[in-house]
Amino acid sequence: MSTSTTGPDRTARTARRPVQAAPRGVPQSPLEESGRGTRWVVAIVVVVAMLWTLVPLLWMLLSSFKNSADVTAATPQFLFTPVLDNYRNLFTGANNLWPYIWHSVLAAGISAVLAVCLGALAGYGLARTQMRGKKHLAFWIISTRMAPIAAIVVPLFLIFRGLGLIDSIPGLVLAYLSFNLPFAIWLMSAFFAEVPPSLEESALVAGCTRWQAFRTVILPLTKSGLVTTFVLCLVFAWNDYAFAVVFSGPNSQTLPIAASQLVTQTGIDWGQLTAIGTIVVIPMMLAGLAVRRWLVTGLTLGAVTGE
Amino acid sequence: MTKIAQSSPGLRRSWPEAPSEPRIRFEGKMMLPGLILLAALSILPFLALVAMSFSRVRLLGGVRLELVGLSNWVRSFTDADMWMSWLRTIIYFVLTVGLEMVLGLGIALCLYRVLRGRNLLLGLILLPMFVAPSIVGLLGRYLTDSTFGLYAYVLRSLGFTGDILGSPTSAFAAVVLMDVWEWTPLIALISLAGLSSVPQSVREAAAVDGASGWMTLRFIIFPAISNVLLVALLIRSMDAIRYFDIIWVTTNGGPADATKIVPIRLYETAFRFFDFGYAAAIGLTMLAFSILIARAFVRMLDTRGLTR
Repeated sequence: MSTSTTGPDRTARTARRPVQAAPRGVPQSPLEESGRGTRWVVAIVVVVAMLWTLVPLLWMLLSSFKNSADVTAATPQFLFTPVLDNYRNLFTGANNLWPYIWHSVLAAGISAVLAVCLGALAGYGLARTQMRGKKHLAFWIISTRMAPIAAIVVPLFLIFRGLGLIDSIPGLVLAYLSFNLPFAIWLMSAFFAEVPPSLEESALVAGCTRWQAFRTVILPLTKSGLVTTFVLCLVFAWNDYAFAVVFSGPNSQTLPIAASQLVTQTGIDWGQLTAIGTIVVIPMMLAGLAVRRWLVTGLTLGAVTGE
Repeated sequence: MTKIAQSSPGLRRSWPEAPSEPRIRFEGKMMLPGLILLAALSILPFLALVAMSFSRVRLLGGVRLELVGLSNWVRSFTDADMWMSWLRTIIYFVLTVGLEMVLGLGIALCLYRVLRGRNLLLGLILLPMFVAPSIVGLLGRYLTDSTFGLYAYVLRSLGFTGDILGSPTSAFAAVVLMDVWEWTPLIALISLAGLSSVPQSVREAAAVDGASGWMTLRFIIFPAISNVLLVALLIRSMDAIRYFDIIWVTTNGGPADATKIVPIRLYETAFRFFDFGYAAAIGLTMLAFSILIARAFVRMLDTRGLTR
């Protein structure tokens, strides 16, 4: 970097660094205060990234308020008279959206609650246990979370057929637990591992049982972990399509299935479809952003703790 | 003699914690309900999968398995279409994960220099992650529709005419980009967390030493966040194998099999052709891959001590 400063003198060489920084003029902290060129690059990248990210979402939102002519207009319509027809059509008539919403809420909600409860118990056990096969146990848990859905669906389909769980909410809940439960165990265990064991030790000294120590000392300290785990489990289950498309029927079809059912041989009602899309997406975005602070921890399964 | 003497304390090592033995029991009890359910949901299907992969599965009149030996496996390794699917899966995997890593890191580096409003920008950037993949696919179809799609319209005015999801190359590119749209934010989020953990003092020292922006990046920032990037890569890799909803609702493997990656073929084999035995063999092969990646992930956590 400093071929220009040549000094035969050895002592000058050692003193070179501070000297060299000076002629560059601006005291450089290359990240925060960068040159004008870099600043432009940053601005352009950020703007392009925002457009790339937000245009599809805004377009979905806009289109859901368009009438059928505007939705499929050959020239994209940016200015139009907003109408509520699409939403009104979704909630009236024989085939309305309420049952689908109800199924989604039940299947995703119950599976998330169960995953968090069982996950908190097992996660605590996993974080504190000193048993021998701990590493193998942990590996088994993470590998069930990472198993490809396509590989699980096939045998589960046969098992569920045998048990009469096809087209039922309990069936969907179980299917969702197959990925949410290992996720919750692993993540909660990462959250519990950050709570120093000395805390429950002192609770034990104070006369608590192990369960009381867990319940009254440890659990309140991991409240953010519980909420994050719940939200992420909810999002994973709510957004599922691969399981629902195989396991659900008229009694259990969820919102993503409702959306895909609008795709028919005769054509697609894009107005209604964008409206369903908006309904599916908004609650999960709000839930996800509510746990922003712990998202990094949650989505990396506790491997990276953020911010 | 010595062997016995040596081995018995070894055996006894599990007992010396006798005073704290109830402690072990307590942890076991805590884990029990969750692990039993997890075992029922993972070991049972796994055994069923193994059994099915060696059988022909009859569905009518109750589920029956007829052993057929290795024929499903032989078929899965000799099927030229299957090899093409694997090849396509690898290309899809490398393109999506690669693009997401590069773009995600790029966005994180830029966002990192934004001082005011960074949180708001990051919040907006994150939104695609929460969109159901099937909705991403359907929305992608709407945007690329050759008569009224917004993106098709933009491309048309740039000179690209043609049905985006209708021709093999552009359909493949489109499903890759939809996945990139949804999951680049995840990489950006994780990378940004890594960047924020590089101490200010280190960067200042580099600046004082006259390091250029690129050199700071190359020699200070990248080494410091390489662990975090590796986590991001592994997490994303595992999920990239899991999800295929986007392709399922956009092209469903077409046109002319151009986007028929392995999970799509598996679904088709099982639920359209009802060949569960063959599907099980494919599923087990996929499972082996994902376990390899999971193993790398756990091993990295162990050696680099990111958590426990």
